[in-house]
Amino acid sequence: MHVKIRDLESADINSALKKGTFTLKLGPFEHLIKGPSRYLLPHLKGIYRDCDAALHPIDVTEITLRLKAPNFIRSFVRPQISPDPGFQVPAVPLPASMAPLGFEMGLNLSVALKTCRFVTVHAGVVAKDGAAIVMSAASGGGKSTLSAALHSKGYALFSDEFALIDLQTAEVKSYPRPISLKQNSIPIARELLGADRISPVISGTPKGDIAYARVNQESLCSPVTSASVKLILFPNFQTGAQSMARRLNPAEAIMRLVAASTNYSLLGEPAYQAMVSIVKGARTFEITYGTTEQSVRLVEELVGEVSS
Amino acid sequence: MKIETLKTIVGLQSLPEDVMGRIRLIKFADSNHVLGQMAYHAVNTESKALSDIFENAKLRASHDHTMLTFEMNRVERAFSGLQTPIVVLKGGAYVATGGRAGLGRRVSDLDILVQHSDLSVVEQQLSKFGWMPDAETDNEYDQQYYRQHMHELPPLRHRTRGTVIDVHHALLPKTARFRIDAELMFTQALSISGANLKVFSPIDQFIHSAVHAYADGALDTPARTLVEQYFLYSDLKTEDMDALIQRAKEVGAAMPVALALWLIGHVFELLAAEQHSKQLKGGWRYYLLKHAILVKLEAGWAAAFGKAYLYVRSHYLRMPLYLLLPHLIRKAIQWRPGSNVPTDLPFPQ
Repeated sequence: MHVKIRDLESADINSALKKGTFTLKLGPFEHLIKGPSRYLLPHLKGIYRDCDAALHPIDVTEITLRLKAPNFIRSFVRPQISPDPGFQVPAVPLPASMAPLGFEMGLNLSVALKTCRFVTVHAGVVAKDGAAIVMSAASGGGKSTLSAALHSKGYALFSDEFALIDLQTAEVKSYPRPISLKQNSIPIARELLGADRISPVISGTPKGDIAYARVNQESLCSPVTSASVKLILFPNFQTGAQSMARRLNPAEAIMRLVAASTNYSLLGEPAYQAMVSIVKGARTFEITYGTTEQSVRLVEELVGEVSS
Repeated sequence: MKIETLKTIVGLQSLPEDVMGRIRLIKFADSNHVLGQMAYHAVNTESKALSDIFENAKLRASHDHTMLTFEMNRVERAFSGLQTPIVVLKGGAYVATGGRAGLGRRVSDLDILVQHSDLSVVEQQLSKFGWMPDAETDNEYDQQYYRQHMHELPPLRHRTRGTVIDVHHALLPKTARFRIDAELMFTQALSISGANLKVFSPIDQFIHSAVHAYADGALDTPARTLVEQYFLYSDLKTEDMDALIQRAKEVGAAMPVALALWLIGHVFELLAAEQHSKQLKGGWRYYLLKHAILVKLEAGWAAAFGKAYLYVRSHYLRMPLYLLLPHLIRKAIQWRPGSNVPTDLPFPQ
C-alpha cells in the first residue's frame, strides 16, 4: 500500500533504502530506490514529504535507481556516490553529501533515456482548468523560475523538467517532481513559495548552488493527471530586457521541441505525430523578459488571449 | 543465471509470482539485452506495470529495426546495378525475414558477408556512399591486421548517420582452427523478398549462430546467444531439424552445431535438439567444454574456471600463438591511457 512519506517512520525508510525496496510513486512512474539513507532521508522527508511511497514494491517498477559508491574505497574514505539507473551513464561521482542532487539527476537520466512510451521534452509544465502551458528553454533560460512563479500563482505544477507527451492522446502527463533551483533563482523561489518549501542549499556542486522547492499538495494529490496543451512557450531570460512575445509558426515550434526532446529520434514517426498534434492545438510564442514579474504578467496575458 | 530465467524470457514458463523475483528478472533481461524479446514472448504478463516496461522495450527494439531496415536499403542503393551478391548476417537477417529470433531483438549494427574477390569493389562503393573507418582502427597496422588475419574489415561508420556496418568476407578469421565452408553457404543463400540482398537459409542461419558462439568467441553474451538459438531452432521445419547435423558436417561446423543443440536442448528442454546433438561423438575436450559452459552459465563458485577456460580457448581457436603474442605486445605498446586512438606505428614488412 502507498502511504504519504510524511507518515512513514524514518527507521522504516532507512531500512527500505538500504535494502533497495523503497518505492516512490509519482505521476505515471513507480521508482525503486536504493541509496545512502543518511543523506537521502532528509531529502525525502523534506521535499518529497507529501508524495506517495511504499516500503516494498507492489509490482515491477519502470524506473530503478541505485545511488552507490563508484568504488569500494569511496564507501569509506571521503565517501562518494554516483547514480546507477541500470544502464551506462556518463555521470561524475559526487560527494555523498550531495546525494539529493545525485538522486534528482539519476531520476532525470532514467526518465530521459529509458522511457519510450512518452515523448520526453526538456520543459517545465504547469496547468490550470485542464489546460497546460509547456515552457521549453535551455538550462539557465529561466524555465524553473517561471514554473515556480506560475505555481505560486495557483497553477498546478506538472513538471519542472520534462513534458511527458502521451503518444496516443498527445496530452501531457503530470509528473510533479520538486522544482530544481540554481544560483539566483533560489532567493526568488524562497520569496514566491515561502522559505519552508525550499530545501537546504547544496553548495559547490558542478552546477553551482542547488536547492529544491516542494510542490504543493494540490498538484500532488490532484485526480487530474493529464491535460491538453494550450500554450507552448520558449522563455528567454535576459537581464534588463523589455518583455516581449513573438509568435512562432508551427514549423519553427516543432523544430524547437524536437531539439529539446531526449527521445524524439528514437521514437521517430509517432513522436513527430504527437508533436504536430500538440502544436496544432496550441499557440506558440518565444517570450523575452527581464524580471520574474514581467514573465508572469506576460504569460497571463497570453493565457487570456488563448482562452478568449 | 538460472536456467528457469531463460525459460521465462522465451515464454516457456510463467513469470515468478513474487515481486522481487520479477524485478530481478526484468533487471537481468534488461542488462543482458533480451528484454525486447521477453516483451514479445513472455507469458502471464497481465499487470499494467509490466506492460509499461514491455512497451518501452518494444519501442526501443522497433527503433533499432527501423534503423536496420533503412541501412539495408542504403546498402542496396550503394550496390544497385553491380554484380556483387551481399548476404545480410545475424540480426539483420532475422529482422529481414521476420522470424521469431528477430522479434524484439536489439540490433546495433549491420553485418554483411561478401565474396572475398568482391572486397575491394565493396570497400570502394561503401566509401563512395559515406562509410568511413573509425579513428580507432584507421591506422596502417590495424587495417593490415584485419586484412591479413581476420574475417572482416575494421568496422565502417557512416559519416552523417553514425551507423556502423561490419563487412565480412568469411565467417571465421583466416587464422582460425575451424575451417568453415562459407562459400557453400554463400552460394545457397536466399533472396530477401523485395530486395536485392540475400540471407542464409534458416538451417545455415542456425549454423552461423552456432559457429559464432562456439567456434569463435568465449560465449560472452550467453543469454542473448541462447535465446537467439532457441528461436532459430524452434522456427525450423521438422525436416530441417533432421537435416541440420548433416549440413553442419558438410560445411565443417559439426562440433559448434552439436554443442549449440546440446545446450539449447538442455536449457529449454528440447528433446529433439538433445537427440540430434548426440549424433556427434566428441572426445574428452568436448566434454570439458560442455562443463566449462555450464559452470559459466550457472555463475556459481566454479564460474571463474569456466570463464577462464573459454577465454583461453577462444584465443587458441582464433589465432596460433606465434601470431597472437606479437600482436598483443604491439597493442600494449600502442596503447595510450585514456584514448581510443592508438599510437600509430609502421606495419612490419
